[in-house]
Amino acid sequence: MKKFNIKTYLWSGIIMGAFALFMFFTMESQVRLPAYDSGAPSPRLLPTIFITGILICSAILIIQSLVFKKENITVFDWEKEKPMLFIITLITLYAIGIIMLGFVVASIIIFAIVLWYCGERKPGIYIFTAAAAIGIYYLFKYVFYISLPDVPFFMGG
Amino acid sequence: MTDFQMISQALGMVFTVSNILTIFIGLVIGMVIGCIPGLSVTLGIILMLPLTYTFENADTAIILLLAVYVGGMYGGSISAITLNTPGTNSAIATTFDGYPLAKKGKVKKALDTSLFASTFGGLFSAILLLLCASPITKLVAGFTSVEYFSMGILGISLIAGVSGDSLAKGIISGCLGLLMACIGMDAVTGVTRYGFGLDILKYGIDMLPAMIALIALTQVADKLREFKLSDGHLDDANKIDNEGLTGKEIKSIMPATLYSSVIASIIGAMPGVGGGVAQFMCYNEARRISKQPQNFGKGCLEGIAAAESSNNAVVGSAMIPLLTLGIPGDGVTALLLGAFILHGIQPGPTMFTKQGPMAYSIIIGCLIANILLYPIGKVLTRAVAKIVQVKYTLLAPCIIMFCFAGAYAATGNTKELILTVVILWLSYLLNLLKIDNTPLMLGMILESIMEANFVTAMMSYDRDVTVFVRRPISAVILIITVVLVVSMMKLNKKIEALNAQQEKEMAAEHAAADAAAAEG
Repeated sequence: MKKFNIKTYLWSGIIMGAFALFMFFTMESQVRLPAYDSGAPSPRLLPTIFITGILICSAILIIQSLVFKKENITVFDWEKEKPMLFIITLITLYAIGIIMLGFVVASIIIFAIVLWYCGERKPGIYIFTAAAAIGIYYLFKYVFYISLPDVPFFMGG
Repeated sequence: MTDFQMISQALGMVFTVSNILTIFIGLVIGMVIGCIPGLSVTLGIILMLPLTYTFENADTAIILLLAVYVGGMYGGSISAITLNTPGTNSAIATTFDGYPLAKKGKVKKALDTSLFASTFGGLFSAILLLLCASPITKLVAGFTSVEYFSMGILGISLIAGVSGDSLAKGIISGCLGLLMACIGMDAVTGVTRYGFGLDILKYGIDMLPAMIALIALTQVADKLREFKLSDGHLDDANKIDNEGLTGKEIKSIMPATLYSSVIASIIGAMPGVGGGVAQFMCYNEARRISKQPQNFGKGCLEGIAAAESSNNAVVGSAMIPLLTLGIPGDGVTALLLGAFILHGIQPGPTMFTKQGPMAYSIIIGCLIANILLYPIGKVLTRAVAKIVQVKYTLLAPCIIMFCFAGAYAATGNTKELILTVVILWLSYLLNLLKIDNTPLMLGMILESIMEANFVTAMMSYDRDVTVFVRRPISAVILIITVVLVVSMMKLNKKIEALNAQQEKEMAAEHAAADAAAAEG
């Protein structure tokens, strides 16, 4: 199935409602009450209000969709979403790469894949991107005094 | 300290070489980012935000971001005129007349009109901001934590009400942001909330990585997708000629420029209505009062002036509710509120009493940015316009690198990188479900202020929740919230319908003109 419709009211209601229920039922274990009463309101009070807000609005969206047939349908076109999903996956790998390989190495590897995927074949753009990675690394290190993650073994990170 | 004394002190703070240089850099960066279709002013501000961490003065940091905002609003018109593609949403109406005039070979005239109107609109609203800020803060000086909490609800509700296609989705997005900001250690009780035993959640989700993921990375990934789907095709830009704007023409566009600046300043000061809305209303009004309404849509200078003066006039006036009440009017000002908080500034009435000179230095900085926009625009527009033709694959890797370097800079911990990608996936899901992520971002920004005021109010009134409706000012704010949300939703729907009709009409007129030209 390359294309399918998403009923955004219905699915927003279901997904967000399920998320709110999960947060509600895990509250007891995830938000412990303080050992003594400082006079401040419970740390559970505001999260409960926000979760209730999400639950009520989710119910409204589901009712609007199923009962009143009000919908905003969006088409999920796999051909259009595939590049987006691939790019976000590469960005995810980039974040992991920065932690494991350091900023410069991860930038050179991941953006070489991104550029190749986008159809770039001329070496100049790859060289520019690698130079930009090194430039940004040193810009942060010497101008903003922020050391970005280094290659763990070679640069003493 | 009187307002006059604070302004005098602020003048001394702003007029330093480093501040003027900062404004210059901000304007150029704003123009560059604004002119690239698909990159918004918000992205420019986010990219600059981590860099401002190293600034000694918080006001200099905010002035830089405001200069990016001012430059970006003008920059959006450059691609609107040369490419028929607005660089930012606020420059859509500029394409109606800017591009037809460019097609006639008068690119410089169109750009000069845009620059003049942008500068005029920006200056007009910055002066309005300077004059209105203090009286408004004096009006709301009696606010306590109860009223501040209610103001937080007003801010989020307004943004939720006008974002996306459904109020329920907007509220979900806002509540989700508030809930996400609850994660981590509670400042009052010291209890960890929703840590799930994970180290990365123990100290909560930092605002900056969240903003980077929700706005910047989402935009860049989307633009890269477009690049891939279009096989990297770039539209041909019109070349810039040398025939600028004459004194007579400046005189002819003055009524439209002034009228649009007034309307946009009023609209911009209303929380929940941004530059995108103002431009169409001003364009329509300028057409209505024009002596030659038939020329609109065919390369009319008044049309460009109306659209451009309006979007720059919104910059200053949108700062009025932000600086005086602490309520952001749209996504950009929500981001600026985040920047204020990150730099330890609390916008709102107390800002003018506790940090008065700083508040005025920000306003004066905004004024100077608008003044400098004109000479900088005159000199650099031609060079900046060439950037429109730079391949996106050259820019995207640099932007993503800056995003991750900026996210890491928030705390210097690699957990920020993981949180950034998790929020990026969340942003993708929200986009798929057509849930606007602006209320989410605002919720994350406002939660700490709202919770601090909520706790103070609860402790002061013996945990009596009804205090929010019992105190008259708070009750009035909550009533205004409901009234404004309903009326803004209606107003936005009306304007959206008007915009759609306007865009349709313009597209049809342009198609007819192109067909006629092809036949000729």
